Amino acid sequence: MILRLALGSLLARGLTVAMTILAIALSVMLFLGVEKVRTGAKASFADTISGTDLIVGARTGSVQLLLYSVFRIGNATSNMTWESYQDIAARDAVDWIVPISLGDSHRQFRVMGTTVAFFERYKYRSGQSLAMRDGDVMDDLFDATIGADVAETLGYSVGDPIVVAHGLASFSEHEDQPFRISGILEKTGTPVDRTVIVSLEAIEAIHVDWRSGAQIPGQATPADVIRQMDLQPQAITAALVGVKGRLQVFGLQRAINEYGEEPLLAILPGVALQELWQIVGIAETALIAVSGMVIVTALIGMMATIFSSLNERRREMAIFRAMGARPRVIFALLVLEAAVIAAIGALLGLILLYLSLYVAQPLIDSAFGLWIPIDPPSMREVLVLIAVILASAIVSMLPAIRAYRMSLADGMMVRI
Amino acid sequence: MKLLSLLALSTLAASPAFAQETRQLDSHEHGVGQLDIAFDGSLVAMELHAPGADIVGFEYGAESDEDIAKVEDALLVLAQPLGLFVVPEAAQCSVVEVRAELESEDEHKDHEEEGHDDHGDEEHEGEDHDDHAEDVGHTEFHAEYLLECGDITALTEISFTYFTAFPDAVEVEVQVISDQGATAFEVEHDAPMLDLTSLN
Repeated sequence: MILRLALGSLLARGLTVAMTILAIALSVMLFLGVEKVRTGAKASFADTISGTDLIVGARTGSVQLLLYSVFRIGNATSNMTWESYQDIAARDAVDWIVPISLGDSHRQFRVMGTTVAFFERYKYRSGQSLAMRDGDVMDDLFDATIGADVAETLGYSVGDPIVVAHGLASFSEHEDQPFRISGILEKTGTPVDRTVIVSLEAIEAIHVDWRSGAQIPGQATPADVIRQMDLQPQAITAALVGVKGRLQVFGLQRAINEYGEEPLLAILPGVALQELWQIVGIAETALIAVSGMVIVTALIGMMATIFSSLNERRREMAIFRAMGARPRVIFALLVLEAAVIAAIGALLGLILLYLSLYVAQPLIDSAFGLWIPIDPPSMREVLVLIAVILASAIVSMLPAIRAYRMSLADGMMVRI
Repeated sequence: MKLLSLLALSTLAASPAFAQETRQLDSHEHGVGQLDIAFDGSLVAMELHAPGADIVGFEYGAESDEDIAKVEDALLVLAQPLGLFVVPEAAQCSVVEVRAELESEDEHKDHEEEGHDDHGDEEHEGEDHDDHAEDVGHTEFHAEYLLECGDITALTEISFTYFTAFPDAVEVEVQVISDQGATAFEVEHDAPMLDLTSLN
C-alpha cells in the first residue's frame, strides 16, 4: 500500500526524481568504476611477470629495478657487467638466467636485446608462455621479433625491414644496420606487446660504428664484416633468474645482494610489486575518498530535493492525514521514496558502468595497455550498493521527521 | 661464501678494471629483523636476520663474561625455532635443521685480512684490533631453519613469540615464497601474528 503510494508519488514528480536518480547513478558509477580500474590495474601489473624468481640488476631501489626491467618505465641507473652476469649464471642455485639489454628504441617502442631463452622463460598471467602469431623467433643476428602492438601500430608484417634508433626518442637512427622482422608475437597485455626484441649480439652490432653517441663519419662497417666480429656484450641492463628450488631463492638473493665485486640488486618480483602498491596506496585511498564524497554529495542533493518538495506536498500530506493515515505512515512514505530513488539510481549506475566498460575496454587496452575484466559485481560492490540505499534511507529521515511534525501540526491547526 | 668471493676478488685484482677499491657498508635498522620463509611441498625453510641490538641489546663484540653469556643464551633461544615462531599444532611441524650464529663486522674484517691487502680501506686505518669494545661494527644474528610439516595446509598462521623472547625487537619484515609467488608482510611487536591464509 505505502509502496504503491510512494511509487505513484515519485511518478507524479517525474522530472525532479529522474534528475536525482541520475545524480546517484553517476556517483555510483564513478565509485565502482574507480574500484574496477584500480583492481584491474593491479591485476594487470601482477600478471605481467610470473615464473621468474629473481630479477637482478645494478643496485638501485627494488621498485625502480622492477619498473625498468619488466615494465620499461623509466631508465636503468647503470648496467651490470657481463662478468657479473656470468658469475651469477654459474652459481649452483641458478636454474636458468635470461639477460636483458635495454636502451635503444624503434619509433616510440623500446628495443630489448635478449637471448632466445627469453621466449621460453618469460611467463605472464600465471604461467602463460609467449606465442608467435606469425613467423618465427629471431635466429639471425639481424632478426627482430616484435610485439603485437608494434606490428599493429606501425603496420609491420614478417619480412619487413626495420631500423633501430640509438637511445630513446633519438633522431640519429642506425640506418646502416637494417633489421628484418622475423616474427610477430601474440598479444599478451604486457609491455612485451610494445617491445622490439633482438639478440644481445645485435645490440652490440648496432653500435659497432658508434662512439659516444654519434656515428663516426665516413665509417660504415658492412654487415658481413660485423658478422665476423666478436659481439659479446660488455654489459647488460638486467637479468631474469629462475632458481632450482624454492628453498634456495633467498640464499641466492642474499648472495647477489652481498656480491663484493659489483653493487648488484636481486629482487623478488612479487615483493617489489607489493612495495609499489604501498607507494601508490596513498593516491588510491585519495581517489576512493573523492569518489566516495561524490556519492555523499548526490545523497545530500537528494535530501535537499525532498526537503524542498515538502512544502509543495503539504496539501497531499494533509489529505493523507484526513483519510486516516497516521503521521508515521507519512514518515515511512518519505523514507521509502528515498530508498526507491537510491535503489533505482544504484541499479542504473551499475548498468551504466557495465555499458561504459563494454565500450571503453578495448580503448583503455590499446591506449594504456590495461585490460579491465568485465566480471559480475563482486560481493564488495554489492555491499557498496546496499550501503548507498541504506544511507539514502537514513539521510531522508531528516526531511521525513520534519514532515512527520508538520503533518501533526497541519492536522490540528485551524486554517483560515 | 664470503671467503670465496674475496678469493675471486683477489685473483681479479690484477686486472686494472678491478684495481680500484670498493667501499661498501651494509645497513640495518635497529628493532627491525628480517625473516624469509619459503614453502616447498611439505618443507618450510626460514631464515632470520636480526640486529644484535634487538637480540642481546648491544652490537659490540662480547668481551665480558656477562656479554658472552648473553650471546650464548640468545643463540640457544634462536636454536628453538618453534618456540619463536609458533605454528598451529594441526600442521604437525617438526624441526629438521637448525643453524644459529652471530655474524659481526669484525669477522668480515678478519677475513679480509687474510684475503688480500690491496683492499685496505678507511675502516682499517688507525683501528686497534685488540680493542673490540670500541668497535662500532654492527653485529647481526643469523639463523636458518628447515621444518617439515605433516599437513602444510594447516599452516595458516605463525605466531611471533619472538617478540616476547626478544622485547627489544619492534618489527620483523617477512618475505614469503609459496606456490602463489613471492609476497611480503610486516609483523609488529604489538600484533605478533602472521596471517598466511591468503597463500592457500
